[in-house]
Amino acid sequence: MASSSGSGLTFKLHPLVIVNISDHYTRVKSQAQPPHSSSNGGWSPPPQPPRVFGCVIGIQRGRTVEILNSFELLYDPSTESLDRSFLEKKQELYKKVFPNFYILGWYSTGSDVQESDMHIHKALMDINESPVYVILNPAINHSQKDLPVTIYESELHVIDGIPQLIFVRSSYTIETVEAERISVDHVAHLKPSDGGSAATQLAAHLTGIHSSIKMLNSRIRVLHNYLLTMQRGDIPLEDSLLRQVSSLLRRLPAIESGKFRDDFQMEYNDTLLITYLAMLTNCSSTMNELVDKFNTAYDRHSRRGGRMAFI
Amino acid sequence: MESMEALITQIQGLSGSVEDISHLHNLLKLTEESLQSEAPRLASFLGQLDPAKQSLGYLYILEAYTSAPISREQPSEFIMSVSTFINSCLAEQIRLAADKFVSVCKRFKDQVVLLQEPLRGVAPMRTAVQKLRSSSEHLTALHPDFLLLCLLAKSYKTGLGILKEDIFEIDQPRDFFLYCYYGGMICIGQKHFCKARELLRNVVTAPMSTINAIAIEAYKKYCLVSLIDNGQFSTALPKYTSSVAQRSLKNFCQPYIDLANSYSSGKISELESCVETNKEKFESDNNLGLVKQVVSSLYKRNIQRLTLTYLTLSLQDIANTVQLNTPKEAEMHVLRMIQDGEIFATINQKDEMVSFHEDPEQYKTCEMIEHIDSSIQRIMSLSKKLSAVDELISYDPAYLAKAGKERQRFDFDDFDTVPQKFNL
Repeated sequence: MASSSGSGLTFKLHPLVIVNISDHYTRVKSQAQPPHSSSNGGWSPPPQPPRVFGCVIGIQRGRTVEILNSFELLYDPSTESLDRSFLEKKQELYKKVFPNFYILGWYSTGSDVQESDMHIHKALMDINESPVYVILNPAINHSQKDLPVTIYESELHVIDGIPQLIFVRSSYTIETVEAERISVDHVAHLKPSDGGSAATQLAAHLTGIHSSIKMLNSRIRVLHNYLLTMQRGDIPLEDSLLRQVSSLLRRLPAIESGKFRDDFQMEYNDTLLITYLAMLTNCSSTMNELVDKFNTAYDRHSRRGGRMAFI
Repeated sequence: MESMEALITQIQGLSGSVEDISHLHNLLKLTEESLQSEAPRLASFLGQLDPAKQSLGYLYILEAYTSAPISREQPSEFIMSVSTFINSCLAEQIRLAADKFVSVCKRFKDQVVLLQEPLRGVAPMRTAVQKLRSSSEHLTALHPDFLLLCLLAKSYKTGLGILKEDIFEIDQPRDFFLYCYYGGMICIGQKHFCKARELLRNVVTAPMSTINAIAIEAYKKYCLVSLIDNGQFSTALPKYTSSVAQRSLKNFCQPYIDLANSYSSGKISELESCVETNKEKFESDNNLGLVKQVVSSLYKRNIQRLTLTYLTLSLQDIANTVQLNTPKEAEMHVLRMIQDGEIFATINQKDEMVSFHEDPEQYKTCEMIEHIDSSIQRIMSLSKKLSAVDELISYDPAYLAKAGKERQRFDFDDFDTVPQKFNL
């Protein structure tokens, strides 16, 4: 089912679509969650994650297909098809707001394409001759570096003498508008809901920086190991890679001058001093607690009759 | 005598592995009294044992041997044998019988002092200290003896090496008092007045239930050193000082407090008259040298005060303000202060003017980065230690009992009986 697309269309996916799909899925999943009751005592297997369905809309200019927005649709499990009247009503409404947008296809969640999807796909073919199918895999996989979004097109292939429609995978690029960039940034940083004290924000910010530096460090380490093994001769020399590495190295440091070095070191020293101050404060507070406990436990001269703690 | 022979063979046999050593230790504890009775004849037996491998046995016999009074002719032999033992013994074995080792070393120190050759004792004592302590943060009873020998031998630098390490565990409070007192004196000898002040302050503010002589002497020196180092001295001790010290220390040190008051006036003449009146007291406390340093530091303090007011000043004016006799003397003082890094100035010899500058430190250099970085590391390790001690005290039954009694009782449901004593 998965061979690369030969239709020659380039797909551009906007992040708004991805956020919409993931939001839809999360909402449905959290509403369907049974209340946490351990009274029955038995452990039932976790329910199957629900599949959500919807429509994607956008603009097609020549060979470029730009998927800009999406909306949700009701799925009727008995007929295994999408609610047609609802779709048409929604389409009319969206046409009023975005006159240029057409229905380009549909989306769903899941890890892989299923057989029933072909029915839905064929049903949509009367609106658009060649709809696209966007799948979002909601399973969180920490080792996977790419987005879990795949786009499929349908093609007519001859299999065993019978022409059949099959799904073929297409590549896509992500395209952002300025407004989308801000919202994606906001979602990515997942600030705590109370938006709260400066301390929690600072902690979140520093955690982000820490994880990104860790990732940078691990990648540099991988490169370093690779170069070392190349030097030892365990793997054959690869000139193009070496050229890329050397061009990367030559790009650093970005600025090199006396004035820059002075300012940089002064700022560095200032930050170190602040860290020092923070450590001193930390130590003082530990010491304070320790002294209080010590006085409570051992000091003979503390007031009898209980001290009232300040609330 | 047969028992001695048997003991020797046992020592030689059982000095191999760790279990043997503990077995041997128990045996030796039983034979202590018999060793004491045979003290004078033990010298020959010592020759049969090897101090490097059979340190524990050697230590027991040596200790019994030295408990007898040493005759006049033998002290240097005694010193030689003890120093070879200290240099060659095994640290793990002697730590099992730490008190015996301490008493041997103390006798060694007494002999060395008696012979008036403290320098011979400095190196062996340092080895002894390093072998006895379980970590560099542990203060043993030998530390103050070692510092005393350094002081008598005037080898301050060796003492400074030991003083650099921070102390976290103490065997006996008296060791701590003596250690800080001697340490303060060594630092004064090396002119590290800041560290001396810190050490002497430790003595004065250490917890004590009754006033002791070490604290009084330390307080006198503390007063003088803080005048030299800081230019001011307040009789108010920190809040964590024991109440005994806060009440009584001042009464014993009245001349020093008078000296501090006349110092704060800033006039050399007043200071010198105060010194004259109390001269015998200072001399009897062996503090006259320090007092002279205090007087010379007053000149420095006055010149430093001038930097706050003037940008340039002529040497003649400096001499007049600071009450020096000639401009030449003023030049000498200013030059010495510039060399020591106490002020930042340039002397223009043609017009005899001195111009004062700001501190040129820009805090931009790599050395500053390393300096701050090492301080941060030190604080981090200190913080870890503090958290560990904090946790320990949170489990302490004494604390838990008292903390439980003072709990707030808000509503009826909360009113459970708090156990007054934990029966574990």
